[in-house]
Amino acid sequence: MTGVGGFGLPGRAASDRRDEREAPPVVASDSGVPPALEVQELEVPFGGEAGLKGISFRVEAGERFALVGASGVGKTSLLRAVAGSGPLAGGRILVEGREVTGLPQEGRGTVLLAQRPLLFPHLSVFENVAFPLRVRGVGREEVSRRVEEALALVRLEGFGPRRPQSLSGGQAHRVALTRAVVARPPVLLLDEPLTSLDPSLRDEVRRSILAVHAEYRPALVLVTHDLEEAGRMADQVGVLLDGSLAQVASPRTLFRQPASVAVARFLGLPNELPGRLGPDGSLVLAGWRVEEASLTKDGDGEPSSGVRAAGPGDPADREVTVVFGADAGRVLPAGAGGLPAQVLEVRHHPEGAVAQVALVPAATAAAAEGLRPRTGAAVAPEGPSPWRVAAVAGRVPPALPLACQVAADPHSPPEAGQEVDVAFIRSRMHLFDA
Amino acid sequence: MAGALAAALLAAPVLVGVGYATLGALGLVGPGSREGEASLSRFAGVLGDPAVWEGTVWTLWVAGASTLLATLGAALVAVRFRGKGWVARAGRGLAFLPLPVPHLAAGVGAVLVLGQSGLLARMAYHLGWIHVPADMPALVFDPAGIGFILALTWKELPFLALVAVSVLETRGTALEETALGLGASRVSTLFRITWPVLWRGMLPAAVAVFTFVAGSYEAAVLLAPSHPLALPLLTWERYTDVGLARRGDAYVLALLGLAVAVLAVMVHEWLRARHDGGASP
Amino acid sequence: MNAFRPGRHLALAALALWSVLPLAVLVLVSASGGWRFPSLLGAEPGPASWLHLWRSGDRLLGALGMSVALALSTGAVAAVCGLLLGRALSGLRGWARAVGAGSAFLPVAAPPLALGVGLQYTFLLWGMGGTFHGVLLAHLIPALGYTALFFLGVFAAFDGEIEEEARRLGAGRAQTLLRITFPLLRRPLAEAFLLGFLVSWAQVPLTLLVGQGRVRTLTVEVLAWIEAGQDPLAAAGALSLALPPLFLVAVVALAVRRAEVVTP
Repeated sequence: MTGVGGFGLPGRAASDRRDEREAPPVVASDSGVPPALEVQELEVPFGGEAGLKGISFRVEAGERFALVGASGVGKTSLLRAVAGSGPLAGGRILVEGREVTGLPQEGRGTVLLAQRPLLFPHLSVFENVAFPLRVRGVGREEVSRRVEEALALVRLEGFGPRRPQSLSGGQAHRVALTRAVVARPPVLLLDEPLTSLDPSLRDEVRRSILAVHAEYRPALVLVTHDLEEAGRMADQVGVLLDGSLAQVASPRTLFRQPASVAVARFLGLPNELPGRLGPDGSLVLAGWRVEEASLTKDGDGEPSSGVRAAGPGDPADREVTVVFGADAGRVLPAGAGGLPAQVLEVRHHPEGAVAQVALVPAATAAAAEGLRPRTGAAVAPEGPSPWRVAAVAGRVPPALPLACQVAADPHSPPEAGQEVDVAFIRSRMHLFDA
Repeated sequence: MAGALAAALLAAPVLVGVGYATLGALGLVGPGSREGEASLSRFAGVLGDPAVWEGTVWTLWVAGASTLLATLGAALVAVRFRGKGWVARAGRGLAFLPLPVPHLAAGVGAVLVLGQSGLLARMAYHLGWIHVPADMPALVFDPAGIGFILALTWKELPFLALVAVSVLETRGTALEETALGLGASRVSTLFRITWPVLWRGMLPAAVAVFTFVAGSYEAAVLLAPSHPLALPLLTWERYTDVGLARRGDAYVLALLGLAVAVLAVMVHEWLRARHDGGASP
Repeated sequence: MNAFRPGRHLALAALALWSVLPLAVLVLVSASGGWRFPSLLGAEPGPASWLHLWRSGDRLLGALGMSVALALSTGAVAAVCGLLLGRALSGLRGWARAVGAGSAFLPVAAPPLALGVGLQYTFLLWGMGGTFHGVLLAHLIPALGYTALFFLGVFAAFDGEIEEEARRLGAGRAQTLLRITFPLLRRPLAEAFLLGFLVSWAQVPLTLLVGQGRVRTLTVEVLAWIEAGQDPLAAAGALSLALPPLFLVAVVALAVRRAEVVTP
């Protein structure tokens, strides 16, 4: 499961890749035209258990909606229930304003494309794509025209006479895709369209999906466990967690403002710490009050200098859970004005380095310094700190409630056991009531 | 390596049989043979005999008709009696019932039902349609082979039904779901997808059944007419003939039967390769 | 799909009639003392023909024993060897596979009568004419073809990785076969056994040609009765021939189902 850019390293917002979009994003319509697909309070049973409950969302014509969730959460069952090929325990499904709950799958206006392309082996590629048109009684000339158009759209011109058995994996996927849309269904459902493909094939098929969508403009619902894929392909993303839709938002909103701790965890944000939020918006972490910081856009600005031990005279705070990615913190040399911490481990990645650090609670630091509040100047605690002792002895204490991952300078990374300061970027941290 | 051995072991008896029958047909071995004198006279004699050709054509006709009927019936059974309900399982069970019944027993049953003094005839009598057995059209021992065909269909349908059910399960259902999902009606799906996939999947088995029926002695011995004489019966008749010369003819006839078998094997393999559609590794 | 559909129930009834009628008639006629036209049920219902058939000396009983022995042996050998042969064939690829499958199909497609004509001399040469093992070997020719083809299909769908895993864990070839392959394939083995049994049980030309009249199976005896006797005797004979395989199939099916319930 990938979070945003792995460990949330700075500068890699997945939703910023707009170059692959070939259709303009859709504005939710309030114009009175019913959405292409609307589901209300769906209850989908699966695995003998309760399954999914209370699933509601709407997708306008031409919009792309991605449903993400861990494997096994019920995404495929949900899709099949919407298509009419799987069981539905409750709720309503409306296609273009018309209720289709309970209708057999051939009468719903939805087309479900399975994960593995199932082409009819006894028909040629042309006949496969023509199939939905033929069963609707479309005339020969028009069938020919539309099939050729569709094949050209996915760059398979001339493939008409070939047999499905002679196609490569990617080609078969593309033929199945065109077959699904050639009759212009209002709703197209894709079940994990790219999951089973090699990375090299993914681009090919992704491009085809977007091309086909741009041309035919169905409401596209695609199901995936890959957040990055969802971010790349969808206008709206719905997160399925624990049997319900935890959040529906654009990728940008989702990644920047997860709606709950669970969603934040799902996004792969590795850090989750208890904290307190003051009425002035200041955050107390590990007993240190973190004030707002300002950084330049690419994250290379000066660290915050507003760190001080929270004292008894401070106004009343709310208990919160603080969730953030490694890009919300930065390792600095000791005494540079951030939270004191000790480095446990440093991991290197192609995009940079991440340090696992243990924050030193303010109380401990104060005890070590003799109750002197810290402002700016470097403070080295007298005597061995419990963490340093542990590092020297080769053991990391088992319970480290204040450990977190933060970004480190890959060119001069800290060493394990080293005492450092950590600067936090307040705006990149997500706070949730505990 | 092991595969080659296995293939050799299985093919060897047939090849030996073909070899010996060839020698016998050439007049080199067997009854009525002359040492060292190969001749094609037996070939000419048998292949020029109109009874042989009539018998062969008749055998092929019967085999073809019964295989076709059995295939259609099996497809109908497989499609009609799908799924897990009691009706479906009962239907499949009933369809498979004749499988263990030996051809001989099936033949007796056929005579007792279809014969001129059989069950159907007696029912016709009680309905006032006929008065004596001879009024009843001959369905067994008749030149058209109707009774024979029906009996063979009865015996072969279960095996083809097994194949049909298997084809539907492994390939048919998923494709049908896809077709329905693309907007086809159930009827449309049946004709455009289910049936084409089904008969193509059954083709190798149908060829096997055709071949088996064409060479079957047990069924023919009870139900076939004496004229035209079915090929297996003709072969037996010649082989057990009092005159040594005619016995030798049986070798040619045996070769004919074996040649049909080899042809059938090649057609069968070709069909399987063509219609496996990626299912074989 | 389980809703009441009169068409389906009608189809079921028609199928029942089609499948059961010949067998029912056999029962009916065999249980009658005489089945003269135009009576439907026959005169003097009773076991007279059965008794006549089975009490006429030990011939029929002996033939029954011979058939059972032959068919059971054929079934057992064909099942085990068929598994080994089919497994060997499934390792072939490409054109070799087609040739291999064709080789297995050859003894199936070859008319047993033609086979018998071509092989009789060879059997006589090896002193196997008129012996039990000679006829057994003759029956095995088509039976092995059937079971090899059957297992070829089974192994095409079989995950060879399991055997590989056993080998990686240190099991030898024979051990793998005995401890892994055969137990996993219990059900196909049972089905192959039935297949071999049926092939042997119903066989006529090979028995006659290789058995030389000295090996008399039930099938061969009943054939004589059918050609010579009257309807009730013929029916009783035919049923005698049909019941043991039907019974065996039922027994094996039940045993397999019970085994599957016990060991999921």
